[in-house]
Parts: sequence; structure tokens; C-alpha cells
Amino acid sequence: MNREQGYKQKILIADDSEMNRAILTDMLENEYHIIEAEDGMQALAALQTYETEISLVLLDIVMPRLDGFGVLKVMNQRRWIEDIPVIMISSESSASHIDRAFEMGITDFISRPFGATIVHRRVVNTIFLYAKQKKLVNLVADQIYEKEQQNNLMINILSHIVEFRNGESGLHVLHIHILTELLLKHLIQITDRYPLSRSDISLISTASALHDIGKISIPSEILNKPGRLTEEEFTVMKTHSMRGALMLDELPIHKNEPLVKTAYEICRWHHERYDGRGYPDGLKGDNIPISAQIVALADVYDALTSERVYKKAFSHETAVRMILDGQCGAFNPLLMQCLQETEMIIQEALTNNNRPAYANQIDMEAIMEEMMRHEELASTERSLQLLEHERMKYNFFSAMSNEIQFEYIETPSMVTLSPWGAEKLGLPEMIMEPHHDSQILAIFSKETLQDFSKAIRSTTPSDPVIHYDCQATLGGASRWFRVISRATWSSDETPQYLGAIGKAVDIHEARLRFDMLLANVKDVSDTQP
Amino acid sequence: MNLKECYAALEGDYEDVIARLRSERLVQKFVLKFLNDPSFDLLNHSLENADYEEAFRAAHTIKGICQNLSFTRLYQSSHLLTEALRNGWSPEAAQLVPKVAADYQQTITAIQTLQEKMG
Repeated sequence: MNREQGYKQKILIADDSEMNRAILTDMLENEYHIIEAEDGMQALAALQTYETEISLVLLDIVMPRLDGFGVLKVMNQRRWIEDIPVIMISSESSASHIDRAFEMGITDFISRPFGATIVHRRVVNTIFLYAKQKKLVNLVADQIYEKEQQNNLMINILSHIVEFRNGESGLHVLHIHILTELLLKHLIQITDRYPLSRSDISLISTASALHDIGKISIPSEILNKPGRLTEEEFTVMKTHSMRGALMLDELPIHKNEPLVKTAYEICRWHHERYDGRGYPDGLKGDNIPISAQIVALADVYDALTSERVYKKAFSHETAVRMILDGQCGAFNPLLMQCLQETEMIIQEALTNNNRPAYANQIDMEAIMEEMMRHEELASTERSLQLLEHERMKYNFFSAMSNEIQFEYIETPSMVTLSPWGAEKLGLPEMIMEPHHDSQILAIFSKETLQDFSKAIRSTTPSDPVIHYDCQATLGGASRWFRVISRATWSSDETPQYLGAIGKAVDIHEARLRFDMLLANVKDVSDTQP
Repeated sequence: MNLKECYAALEGDYEDVIARLRSERLVQKFVLKFLNDPSFDLLNHSLENADYEEAFRAAHTIKGICQNLSFTRLYQSSHLLTEALRNGWSPEAAQLVPKVAADYQQTITAIQTLQEKMG
């Protein structure tokens, strides 16, 4: 984008009165580049053309063709309202109008008669605040990234300290993390019993690293004893789960953080068993939080498949069989199903030599997760730039292609044509209510439009494309066109028809040649005896 | 006749408009521009065609401009007409149309005098 000196930010003024536009323009044209629109349709056309290049819209309510609320409706549908601030200017000062406008996302409302100073100030402030907000959004996104990195780092260091004292490899924590995540992701696919969001899964996987922190208070003679533990020693060893939980519970601050609460469940109950024969509390079935149930299974699996001071590593197959046979205590049947069904992935994930890459991927997923939790961060400057780039590419190719391209949206009923297509058909680039538009009806018959509309609506989300040949009247002559179009369906449970995109190709000559061929064939066959 | 006298003749609020728009030059420019504004013709035309939606918008536009320029007298009658036309034709509208026409004429005459005096 042009940021050189003399570059002016663009303001779109939509008002049907030329006088009113002129007064506003006069106030602002020294500092801003003014785009004028005489009605809602022209305003939408300008928004379609410039999108986020427009820094602010000054919008009147009462306008012909499409009023200010109609413009706001489309700005909401296209999500322009999230990035382009709107100040409404109107003499419609009834509370219901103002409320409705604010509900539809306007930033400010200025009643007539307005003062030059007020308009100027509010315009400058709004543009400034939006620019500042964009900057802050980027800043926060960076900080979340950094925070997430540091969080994971701290948790990893802490759990490695525990493992170091244990004489364990250091891979255990990573394995538990991977297993927990894989099992949870599979679990939510096979059952609705545990309402776990993506962020819950991320939280449990992160907290899983802390499952053995209680071992820090177990004497090292017991912790690292090479042979079997005596009954007394085992009693001491078993206290690690409750001790870990108490450490978290006694945190002077943060103990109500979701991460700490989840880690508490995991520490305290990761040695419980589904039949109530585990420790320390002897909880049974789903009285054991799902977080602890999952980590318990992951812990057992990893213990079996790893080498320890007192045992060799079992193979994956042996470990799974031992667990299914109940040799390591009872587990939730659903979790056993998960273990069986993800066998291949688990082996692949744990034996993957590319371990750091996987760890990074987990970080990245966690960051994405965090980003999604902050909905307002969904479209940061960077993604906007990408969109901007896509739009530029699209415009460039559609201008080069010499094709009639169109985009139709259902509510409000509106069709947008590519510039070349609009010129070819002699139509404006944007047409409201195309089914009833006289200019369109002069080109396509009412029957053709209805028939096409029926065809496109009969598509399905999995098979949304149709080819449709029809005749169009251009410059007084009828020509054949082939319309290739893709319906857009919403991702709701019952998909809603949202509109369609597509292009129309002139196939007139090809069709004539084809007809002639057909006629020849017919002639030939007619002359046969 | 100067701008202030013109405002007195059309019964507008000169102090108010100068306070808001901050520049006598600017106000004068737009006052003169009012002579070419098509809204009043549009109002008459749409009333003749019984297109009351269009008439409402035209009255609304006149009201908006009068508000911006502090043409108090014409603002008041066009404001009443706008409300009378908001839901289509009404008996009040029938009474208000001549009133708006008279106020519009008074406003235009004052501005034309200003324009002539300026040469």
C-alpha cells in the first residue's frame, strides 16, 4: 500500500444530498481522500472496491435504493464492520434508530445539525483509535506467542527436574503429553460423554507434565531403588500423588487458575483405577476426573514401553495387550477403545526421531488454540494483509481473464460482476435484487433465471457445482452461454444456501458447430435407404 | 445585503451556523449552493406522481440541509412535513405542503437577493 508522503487515508461519505456531502467534504478534504456515494448501493460498490483501504465511513440513514441500515447489514455479513469504523450522521435522532445503529456495529452517532469541530474531532479520533487497536492486536498476538513459549518452557523445566531426580530419561513428560493429547482428541470423536473443547484438551495435555511433581518429596533411596520396593517403601512411594496435589493446593496465588486446577486433579488421581482399586482415594468410574483417567492410562503405557532401573522396555504390542488384559488395573472401556484405535498413530508419534519438530508442533497448536480463544484476534493485520493480497490477485486475474465472473449473495439479494463481465453485459458491477432487475431481465428471461436458481439450490454442500447452458440476449441478438457455478452453503448442521459464485462463458460458436454437425448426421441418416 | 442580513430575511440563525461551521466563507458558499439543490423540485415532482416514499426522502433531505445551514424557518416546516410523510400520505401533509413551499420561496428569495447584491 502507498505510504509515501502525501498519502491520504480514505474516507467514504454516503449521503444522498450533495449539499450534505459537500459540507462534510469541505471539513475533511485537507487531510483525507474523500470518496462520495449518493446512496447505499454506491457505498457498497465503493466498499467492495476498496475494502479495508477505507479508513472510515460517514453514513447517512435515509437514502434511496438502499438505506444506511441496509449498508450496515451487508457490512456485517461481509465482516467489513470489524475493520472499517462507521460514524452515522443523521437527523433521525429517535432512540430506536440510534440503538439499532449501535447494535449493528457503528462506532459513533452524530446528530444533525453538527458542528465542524465535532465532526473533525470524532473522525480523527475514530481513525486514530482503530489504527491503535490494530497495532495493539498485533502486540498482544506477539505477547501471547511469547507467553505460551515461556509457559511451556517453565513447565518442561520443572517436570524435567522431577524426572532428573527420578533418573528417568526426560522423554517421559513429552510422551505423556503426546499420548494425552492423542487419546483426548480421539475420545471426543467417539463419544459426547465428556464435553471437552479444544482448549480443554490443550490445558489437560499441558498440565499432564506435572503429574509426578509429588515425587520431589520422596526420599531418593526409595525413588531410585533398583529392585522391588518393600510394602513399607511402597506406602511411602504412593504418597507422591497426594503430595503433588497438596503442593499445588498450597500455592499462595494462582491456585484457582484452570491450569493449576487441572494439574491438581491429575496429580492427585492419576493412580486411581476405574474399578475403585487405585489410590489415594479409591475413586471409582467417572468420579475420577477424565483428565486424571487419561493421564493414568498414558502413564502406564509409557512406563511399560520404557526401560526402568527395575525392568526392560516392553514392545508396543505387549504393552497394549497387558493393559487390555487388566494387568495394570482397570481403565475406562472408552479409553481402552481409544488406545486400541490410535495404536498406529501412537507408535508413529512416539518413535518419531523428529522429536523437537513434534514438540514445536504442540507449541504451535497451543498458540493457535490461544489465538482462537481470543476471537478478536482472529483477523490480525497480517492475515488482513494476506486477504488484501488475495483480493489483489483475484482482481488481477479476473481482469485478465476476459470472463464474465459473478458472485451472488442471498440476503440481501445482490450480485457482483467482474469489471470485464459488467462491461461485456452492459450492466453495473453491483445489482440489488437481480431476479427483479429490469436490466438483467432484458438479458436473461425470467424462466431462465428461475430455472438456474432452482438448479443451484438443488446442489449439496458435498457436490455444489453445476454446469448450466442457457441463452442470453446481448446487443439485440441471442447467444448461448455456459454458466459454471458453485453454490456456497453455510457450515451449520442444516446447511443454509448463502449464494453462489461462478462464471459464464460464451459457447455460441461451439454450440452452432455442434448443432450443424448434428443436423449433418441427421441429413445423412435421412438419406439412407 | 450581507450574509447576516440574508439570514435575517430567511429567518435563520446566523450566529448558530457560524458557531458550528466556523467560517463565513464556507457558510456563504453553501448558502448560495442551496439555490441549485434539486430536493425541492424532487419533492414537488414525487408528490405529483403520488410517490410518497420518494417525497418523504426529499422532505427529509431538505430538513437535513436546513439543519446544517440553520435555516430555522424552513427547517421547522420541512421537519413537520417529513414526519407527516413518514408513513405515506396523511391529511397533515396536505396542509404542510403549501407552508413548506412558502417558506422555501422566502428562503430562495433572500438568497437570490444576496447573490444579486454580490454581483
